[in-house]
Amino acid sequence: MPALLELQQALRAQLLGEAPPPDEESALRLAIYRNTCLSTLVNALRLSFPAVQRLVGAEFFDASARAFIRRQPPASAWLNDYGGGFAGFLSGFVPAATLPYLADVARLEWTVNRALHAEDASGLDLARLALLAESARARVSFTAHPGLSLLRLEFPADAIWRAVLDQDAAAMAAIDLASGPVHLLIERDASGVQVRRLNVARWQFTARLCAGEPLYAALDDRADADISAWLAEHLSSGRFIAFDLRAPPTGATRE
Amino acid sequence: MSGDGHSAKHTGPIPAAAGIGLRFPHHEQVLQQQPAVAWFEVHAENYFGGGSVRRVLEQVRRDYPLSLHGVGLSLGSAEELDREHLRRIGELAHGIEPGLVSEHLSWSVVGGHYLADLLPLPMTDEALDVVCRHVEQTQAALKRRILIENPSTYLQFRHSTIPEWEFITAVAQRTGCGILCDVNNIYVSASNHGWDPQAYLDALPAAAVGEIHLAGHAVRTLDDGSVVRIDDHGARVAAEVWALYRQALRRFGATPTLIEWDTDIPAFDVLLDEAAQASALLRGVAPGHHACAA
Repeated sequence: MPALLELQQALRAQLLGEAPPPDEESALRLAIYRNTCLSTLVNALRLSFPAVQRLVGAEFFDASARAFIRRQPPASAWLNDYGGGFAGFLSGFVPAATLPYLADVARLEWTVNRALHAEDASGLDLARLALLAESARARVSFTAHPGLSLLRLEFPADAIWRAVLDQDAAAMAAIDLASGPVHLLIERDASGVQVRRLNVARWQFTARLCAGEPLYAALDDRADADISAWLAEHLSSGRFIAFDLRAPPTGATRE
Repeated sequence: MSGDGHSAKHTGPIPAAAGIGLRFPHHEQVLQQQPAVAWFEVHAENYFGGGSVRRVLEQVRRDYPLSLHGVGLSLGSAEELDREHLRRIGELAHGIEPGLVSEHLSWSVVGGHYLADLLPLPMTDEALDVVCRHVEQTQAALKRRILIENPSTYLQFRHSTIPEWEFITAVAQRTGCGILCDVNNIYVSASNHGWDPQAYLDALPAAAVGEIHLAGHAVRTLDDGSVVRIDDHGARVAAEVWALYRQALRRFGATPTLIEWDTDIPAFDVLLDEAAQASALLRGVAPGHHACAA
């Protein structure tokens, strides 16, 4: 008589197709469980990657999702959080090699999905920030809202994503795949998830702030009017939920 | 329920009346029309995280009694419970103060991987110890009693030694948890394994039954000619299950009863109609012992 753990490991191997079932009768009954398991997981991926599915078609999506599920089964029962490895999987999935931008679209969709389901958090206390002495302000470092992400993608995946979901053939035809990398900010606001293209300076500044670098480091030598206005927008739109004071820079300060 | 009693937040228990399992396609309609439904139940895992979906749940909670039904805690896993999963359920329960919290007599996780189905347990002393330990851990973390639902199963293990009805009764007795009696599951499993569904009902401790589930199922013939009933929650409640439900009410008294539908979800009116049928059977039944203040 197998111990419970051995039995559960054996069933897992059979459900994920890693081992053959013990006999024919068991096979037919195990297939009921395998169908539920796989269709639930494929469906979870379908909900998170609708543009990828439109790009490759339902049948191809189903096959690639099943291959991914066998490679990386979910690590938790929170299925909205399943699929973080799908873009990386697709980038190495030989049958998808004819669509070089597919993995970038998947990266964007995953980030959109994460923004959609991120924990709620309120913006930081601007009054408290305003109380800081002028000399301390450059030492502020921020904690980003859990729904905020930055992506740099080699292909114009944002344009592809919109054109595919809107089924806009004209927009799709106008996309230049060789137009160079795009720098994106993805966030959730009151009306839903927003995907915005940023210029490189704004994107890099925001990326450094999101990584927890203090203002003096993130500003570097780009303390121009545009970046100041951009910082003000970050603060007023609640993109940061907390702040901290870091040690002053060694050597000459930039304050 | 036109107007009265729907303005304030419901903090009371789930009533011994017919409720409906709330699914995404009906969110808008329920928020806008506030249909006359005694209570709703949702799958906890669909409301982890924040954003608009969580706002919907909070709004529903203001208007109706709400029950939280987990599908992913995997109480029957030989390994430890996923602490992060338990924390998320606790966080959700803290936020929406549900009238009931329930989970399943099954397992879904092994080696840290979630297999996305309610998988069958061998009915052994070892499995009983595992389930009891995990129910106790869950009740301690949530600081409340939970209900455990009997599963629908398509296979049995040759080395099982305990009838399922004795197993779930033992879990309730040892941990103090309640039982969520899924009448459709009893019918499905009894058909699949040649059990007597009435005897299953009779064997359950009536005082521990805090909720009843009703759903539709499918009948399929396998390649070897055997007929299997599959609990797909994709149809109206079968006539035989309504008959068994009458027996359940006779035995347990009036008990909160949920209509579930998860495959090919129909118009909300169909669910209202199913709930009305359950209400008709609930009327005139004396109150049960159900421990809804769990």
